Amino acid sequence: MDNTINRRDFIKATTATTAGVATLGAGITLTTYVNANENPVTNEKRWGMLVDTNQLTESDIDGMVSACQKEHGWGDEIHSTGDQKAGWIKKVKVKDTATQRISNLALMCQHCDEPPCVDVCPTNASMKREDGIVLVDKHLCIGCRYCMMACPYDARSFVHEDLTDQKEHMPRGKGTVESCTMCVHKVDKGEQPACVSSVKSDAVIFGDLYDATSKINQTLKKVQSTQIRADLNLNTGVRYSGI
Amino acid sequence: MSIIRYEQTQGKSLGFYALIAGLGAFILAALGSVYFMEHSGHHVTGMSNRIVWGLPHVFALFLIVAASGALNIASIASVFNKKIYKPLSRLSGLVALALLAGGLMVLVLDLGRPDRLIIAMTEYNFESIFAWNIILYNGFFLIVGVYLWMMFERRMNKYSRKVGIAAFTWRLILTTGTGSIFGFLVARQAYDAVIMAPMFVVMSFAFGLAFFVLVLMASYKWTERPLGDAIVNRLSNLLGVFVAAVMYFVAVYHLGNLYLAENSAVENFILVDGGIYTQLFWYVQIILGGLVPLALLYSPMTKGNRSMLGLASVLVIIGGLAQLYVIIIGGQAYPLELFPGKEILAGYGGIASYVPTVPELMLGLGGMAVALIAIAYLVKFLPFLPESLADDVANPHHKG
Amino acid sequence: MNRWMVLLLSLMVTSVFAHGHSEHTLGTEADSIKSSDKTYHQSISMIRKMHPEFLNHKRDKTLRQGVRTEEYSLSGCVTCHASKKDQSNDYHAIDASEQFCSDCHQKVAVTVDCFSCHRTTPAEGVK
Repeated sequence: MDNTINRRDFIKATTATTAGVATLGAGITLTTYVNANENPVTNEKRWGMLVDTNQLTESDIDGMVSACQKEHGWGDEIHSTGDQKAGWIKKVKVKDTATQRISNLALMCQHCDEPPCVDVCPTNASMKREDGIVLVDKHLCIGCRYCMMACPYDARSFVHEDLTDQKEHMPRGKGTVESCTMCVHKVDKGEQPACVSSVKSDAVIFGDLYDATSKINQTLKKVQSTQIRADLNLNTGVRYSGI
Repeated sequence: MSIIRYEQTQGKSLGFYALIAGLGAFILAALGSVYFMEHSGHHVTGMSNRIVWGLPHVFALFLIVAASGALNIASIASVFNKKIYKPLSRLSGLVALALLAGGLMVLVLDLGRPDRLIIAMTEYNFESIFAWNIILYNGFFLIVGVYLWMMFERRMNKYSRKVGIAAFTWRLILTTGTGSIFGFLVARQAYDAVIMAPMFVVMSFAFGLAFFVLVLMASYKWTERPLGDAIVNRLSNLLGVFVAAVMYFVAVYHLGNLYLAENSAVENFILVDGGIYTQLFWYVQIILGGLVPLALLYSPMTKGNRSMLGLASVLVIIGGLAQLYVIIIGGQAYPLELFPGKEILAGYGGIASYVPTVPELMLGLGGMAVALIAIAYLVKFLPFLPESLADDVANPHHKG
Repeated sequence: MNRWMVLLLSLMVTSVFAHGHSEHTLGTEADSIKSSDKTYHQSISMIRKMHPEFLNHKRDKTLRQGVRTEEYSLSGCVTCHASKKDQSNDYHAIDASEQFCSDCHQKVAVTVDCFSCHRTTPAEGVK
C-alpha cells in the first residue's frame, strides 16, 4: 500500500499539468485536508440571519434570488408550471394595513428552532442540524409533502419532474422535497451563504446567534427585530428588522 | 332466532365476472395513471407547491375514514351487544379491511417516491402524527384480521367480544389520528382546530355505513339471498342519525371558526366567495350529501324503500368526497397568513388554483375498485355472508 | 451437497467481479491512476464489497453532522470513475449503461438510487 495517493492531490496535480502524474511520488500524505469539519457540528453555535428591510433594496432581493438559483441550480425546471416551479427564496412586498408602510423582504426557510416540518415528517427526513440549520435528508424523503402542509412560511418546494446536471454540492431529484439549506456546504467551509454575499451592503447579516462577538449577535442586541409569525413560537433563525 | 349459517357466494355467474372485469379495468387504469405520474413526475398532475395534496388524497382519506366506520356494525354487535347486527359482523370486518387497503394504496402510490415505501416502514419519527398513522393502519389490519378469525373459528367465538372491544378502541384512535393529520397543522387556518379529530370520527360513521349498506344490499340482491326489512330499516335509521351528526359537527366547526376573528377570512372563503369550494360545500356536501339523504331516509314517502336507501347511501358517499375535497384542497387553496396585520402586495398570496387531472381521478377511483374487488373475491372464497338475513332469521324479536 | 453449493456460489460471485474488471469502464481518472501504477483504494476488494456501507455511513455524517471530509464522498467516486466521451471533453453519466456503476449493478440487478438526485458527472470545471 505504499502507492496510495490522495484523490485531491491527484486532481490538483493532473489539472495543473499533465506531467504532474509522473512527478507524483509514492505514499503522498493524506494530511493536506485538515479542517474543522472533520468533527460533527455542535449546538454551541446557532446559525442565523438578520434581514434589515430598511436597507434592503428591491434589486438586492432580486440579486439574492438569482444568487441562490445559481448556487443551487433551481429555477430551470422545464415542465413544471406556475406554482410547481421550485422557489427556495422569494421576494415579498408587504403593506402595513394601519400605517400603509411598504416593506420588501426576502422570504425563505426560516430555520426554526422548533420546526413544524421536522415534527410532522414521518421518516425523519426533515431534520435540524445541531447548529440550527434545517435540511431535508433526501435519502429518507418519500415525497409525502406533509412538511409542506406544516410549514408556516411556504418555504418548501417539491420536485415535480426529472432533473439532470445538478450541482455537485446540491443533489436534487424528482419526488423529493427541498428548501433553503442556508448554503450549508459553504457554511461548513467557513463561508457565507450565497444570498448573503450577493448583497453589498449590511442589509443581510449572517452569523452565529450565540456568539456574543459576532456581528449578528451584537446587531440583534441593538436594533429591534422580529420573527415572521412570532406568534407560533418557532424561534426562527432568520430574523427581520424594519417590518 | 334461528342459527345463522354463513356461506360463500357462488361467484360463477356472468354478472360476477362482469363485475370483476369492470373493477379490473378501473384498477388497470389506476396503475397506468400511477406509472404515468411517477415516470413523468408530479408536473403532469394538477398538484403544485401550493396544493401539495390533491384529488388522490381526497379519495385516500375518504377510504381510510370510511374503513374505520365500516367496522362499526361489528362493534355495535360485539361491544354493545345488539344481536341483530351480529350476522353482519363478518362482512363489516371485511369491508373495513378492503376499504383501508384501497385507501392506503392510493396514498402510497401518490407519494413522490413510492419505491421507498420501505423507509416509511423502517424509519419512524414518533413525533409525527403521520408515522403514528402508519402504525395505526398496520395495527388495524392485524387486529381486524384477528377479530375476523375469532368470529370465523367456532372455538374462538368466546373471545370475539374482547377482541371486538379492542378493535373498536383501535378504530376510534385510528380515525382520531387521521383527523389529527390536519388538526395539528398550526400554520393553516382552515385546519388548526381540535374538533377536526372528533369530526373525522363522526364522518367515518356515516361514510363507512353508507359503503356498507351498498355492499350489503348489492351482494344480497345479486346472490338472490333474502334480506329482510328488519335489518335494512335499522341500518337506514342508523345512517340517518350519522348523517345528521356529521352535519352537526360541520356546523359547530364552522361556527367555532367564525367566532375566532383570525379565522373569519378563511371561513368567508369556504362559505361565501370560494368559487368551486363554496359550491361544493353548499350544493354537494350540505344539500346533496346531507339534506337530501336525510329527506330520503326519513320522509314517509321514501322511507323503507331500498332503492331510496341505496340512493341516499350513494349521495352520502358523494357528499363525503366533496366534504374532504373542501377540507383538503379548499384549506390549502386559501393562502397562509404570513404577516398578520399586513397585506401582501406581491410575491405570495392569492387563492392557489388546482385543476385535478384524469390520472389523479383514475388513481382515486382505482382505490375504490381495489376495495370492491377484494370484497367481491373474499365473499366468494370465505363464508362472510349469512345465507339468509330474512326477518325470521335475523330479527331476535321476530314473532311467529 | 454443500461443497457444490459453495462452488456454485463462488462461480456466480466471480462472474460478477470478472465483469467488473473491464478496463474501459474504470473511469478516466481512475484509468490514469492505474496505468501510472498507483492505487487510490487501500483494498479494492474491500471497496467492492463494502462501498454501499461506506457511502451510507458517510452520507449521514455529512448531511446530518456536517462532516465534510473527502473519504468515501460520492462526488469523489464520480470524479475519478466517470469516463470522458471519445470525441468531446464531456463525461458520460456514471450511471449510464456500460459505465462504471451500472456495469456491475446491471449485472447483479441492484438499482443504484444515488443518481436520482446526485450529479452523474464530475463537477463543472473538472476536466
